[in-house]
Amino acid sequence: MRHKTLAGAGLLAIAALALSACAPQAPEAPSGGASEAGNDTLTIATTTDVVNYNPLIGNSRSDYWVTNLMYPHLLSIGDDGAKEAQLATEWGYVDDTTGYYEIRDDMTWSDGEPLTAEDVAYTMNAVKQDQPSGTFYGQMTNFSSATAVSDTRVEIELTQPDSSIVEEIGFWGNVVPQHVFEPAGSVAEFANDGSGGWVSAGPYLLTNVQVGQSYTMERVENYPLVEGGTPIAAKVVYRVYPDVNTEILALQSGEVDVIANSLPPAQVQQLQNTDGIEVAEVTGLGYAHMTYNMQNPDLAKVEVRQALAHAADYEAIRSVVLQGQADSTGSSPLMPVLSKYYDDSITEYAFDPDQSRQLMEDAGYTADADGMYPVSFRLIYSLQDPVTSQWAQLVKDGAAQAGIRIELQGSERNTYLSQTNDGDYDIYAGNFAIMDDPVTNFSLSYLPGGAINYTYNDDAELNALIAEASQTFDEAEKISLMQEAAKIVHEQVYDNVMYTQNLYVAYSSEWDGFISKPSELLSIVNPVSVASAFRVAE
Amino acid sequence: MSIALFVLRRLGRGAVTILFAVTVTFLLLRLLPGDPALAVASTNMTEDARAALLTQYGLDQPLPVQYVLYLGQLLQGNLGTSFTQSVPVVDVLLQRLPWTLLLTISALVLTIVIGIPLGVLAASHKNRFLDRLVQVLGVTGQSLFVPSVGILLLLVFGLTFRWFPIGGAYSEGVYGMEWYGSVLQHLVLPTVSLALIQLGSFALTMRATLIDALGDDYVTLAKANGIPPRRILWKHALRNAMLPAITLIGLQLGFVVGGAVLTETVFAYPGIGRGIYEAVTQLDFPVLQGAFLLLALTVVIANMLTDIAYGFLDPRVKTAS
Repeated sequence: MRHKTLAGAGLLAIAALALSACAPQAPEAPSGGASEAGNDTLTIATTTDVVNYNPLIGNSRSDYWVTNLMYPHLLSIGDDGAKEAQLATEWGYVDDTTGYYEIRDDMTWSDGEPLTAEDVAYTMNAVKQDQPSGTFYGQMTNFSSATAVSDTRVEIELTQPDSSIVEEIGFWGNVVPQHVFEPAGSVAEFANDGSGGWVSAGPYLLTNVQVGQSYTMERVENYPLVEGGTPIAAKVVYRVYPDVNTEILALQSGEVDVIANSLPPAQVQQLQNTDGIEVAEVTGLGYAHMTYNMQNPDLAKVEVRQALAHAADYEAIRSVVLQGQADSTGSSPLMPVLSKYYDDSITEYAFDPDQSRQLMEDAGYTADADGMYPVSFRLIYSLQDPVTSQWAQLVKDGAAQAGIRIELQGSERNTYLSQTNDGDYDIYAGNFAIMDDPVTNFSLSYLPGGAINYTYNDDAELNALIAEASQTFDEAEKISLMQEAAKIVHEQVYDNVMYTQNLYVAYSSEWDGFISKPSELLSIVNPVSVASAFRVAE
Repeated sequence: MSIALFVLRRLGRGAVTILFAVTVTFLLLRLLPGDPALAVASTNMTEDARAALLTQYGLDQPLPVQYVLYLGQLLQGNLGTSFTQSVPVVDVLLQRLPWTLLLTISALVLTIVIGIPLGVLAASHKNRFLDRLVQVLGVTGQSLFVPSVGILLLLVFGLTFRWFPIGGAYSEGVYGMEWYGSVLQHLVLPTVSLALIQLGSFALTMRATLIDALGDDYVTLAKANGIPPRRILWKHALRNAMLPAITLIGLQLGFVVGGAVLTETVFAYPGIGRGIYEAVTQLDFPVLQGAFLLLALTVVIANMLTDIAYGFLDPRVKTAS
């Protein structure tokens, strides 16, 4: 009996020791006094952890939001879709195959190293060479090399004339510190997990990570892009919540000050009427669309695509599912937000089941006794996208009125991505978050082999227009070419663009001073906005 | 059979179970629809870039080769490198493990501390109001779904009364003893949520085994000898009824660990459960394999300890084995 007791006590002691070794440890209090610019902490809610601290690899929203506060972009974007200065003060072309950026001379990394054109050139060359999986590399098709010709000027050599690449690289690419990234080897594999601490040239520096819970960033005193040269809030904390609904609870309870994710349409009005909460409208830069897989013989017929396009009630989708928080693009990929390119002569496909039926008859189909044509299409969408999940049903119902069967197949996101990549669908339904440059987007969406050419179209006339636009440096001519291209996309229904969603983000009334930028990625959590935000005096 | 042989056999069974779990996890993950390269890369990724990523992940190799390489890695104590974070899986898991341990052990302790008295209360008032009340509550508890309970608790105690935080494991900017207080405050709702769904089955099992024990001859004899009912209940019958309950605790650990995945997700608690949820969405095979191995190890070790403890408490078990 005594032995058993001793053995039991021993086991318990071992278990207790093991557990205490694994127990959470209290963080150490920070040393140093408070700064003069303000001691407030701005707490921002997000729905996912940061997966990658290397902005050249990172692809999730949280990756983007956190790393954007440390690694500057050369360019930003305005509400009209035009690129704006950020790290770069001037940009353009020396000749058809040479681009340039002039950058600020007053930026430094947080460890005291100056941020120069060498950092910019290193970043671009490393991305081209190592091919990291982030969005940046996708912009480098016609990029050959970059050279720092002075401390503040970078010139890039192109493999062929490309009138979009300077702005696209400037907008999508972060600049990373050469003295930190180069010794680490390939930028495609460097985790930048802060083993030796992080280095920032943005308004904040990541100082503490509690995976699954929070990311604490402290102010960098020298940030010349913000008025006054110093960010106002002393700290920014990104807190992780499972979904937007829990984020809303946290905002209402005062646990967070800002929700970085855009609000679901159904929550907008309620929060607009909630005391203590402000809702800001953010310009959308993307669109929701359906594409028809032309590898399917039925969908290869333009009349069938047109019939489908006329069989959806877009107005009902925008007013019911999106509660009026979306704008028609006129069924064109040139959205109104891209004001220079928008062409109001292209109008939305009218919801007209009778016209759809006529088009089906023109294509050689005959309806059966139930009024249904002998075709059936499988429409795929992501179940993680609640808005598309709702309107997909309306699309199915509309098509049924026109005698066309649509089978809905909602899938978990990874399955959906796989189906999309494999072309395993008849109709693809989804969203693009940012379609900022028409030429780039048309190239990716409509040229043969384009990464998002979900229609699998290859139209010689369209290809020629896009190719010409990409090499044209005359803006008026470029706009004209893209409008011609958009007309072909519209007439041939190579893409059925349904709306641009207006985005709404919520924040506490105790804070003000945010500077909104278009898209969910930038919105009110872009670096300049976060650095400008201040707590309202009581 | 000697105790050493008994323990050795249990260890052998545990090792086989772990190998089985490792193999099933490895295969199931690769049966998942989707492609890890697509899950982590941008939509404008080229086919070449995708192929390069798959090569980097080692997913271009035939399945048997991948499996053998993986087992070889495991035998060297290497869980691999996260696809998405490019850091060792061990580091990813160790960052989260303390919180999961804290949550699951707290929930298990709460379940036992409340479950035993509830079972005793019901058994000692068999077929009376208190018994029926415990039974109704027990069955209701078994039917609860963790996220529903969690969201209800959040709405009532987090948002309406504001007694507890909405998410996380502690508040930012607090240190020392205040930090421990904050950890405790953040622990309450997830623990209660997790304990609530375990409590029903534990209390009902306790009740049933105790009712059986109370019908045994030695209890009749004790009553005939004039031993006070309270002493018979707590000192004699409960001790015998505890044997099945101990088995149940070991078994429940598996459910608690499973429940922790959902609980941590609802309460944004930074444990392994939430890590699993995120790794699934990113198809991060190495992290998932490591996490499931860890969970399997936990359950197997807990069951092994239960078996061994059972052997100590009831010598007939060893003999039968």
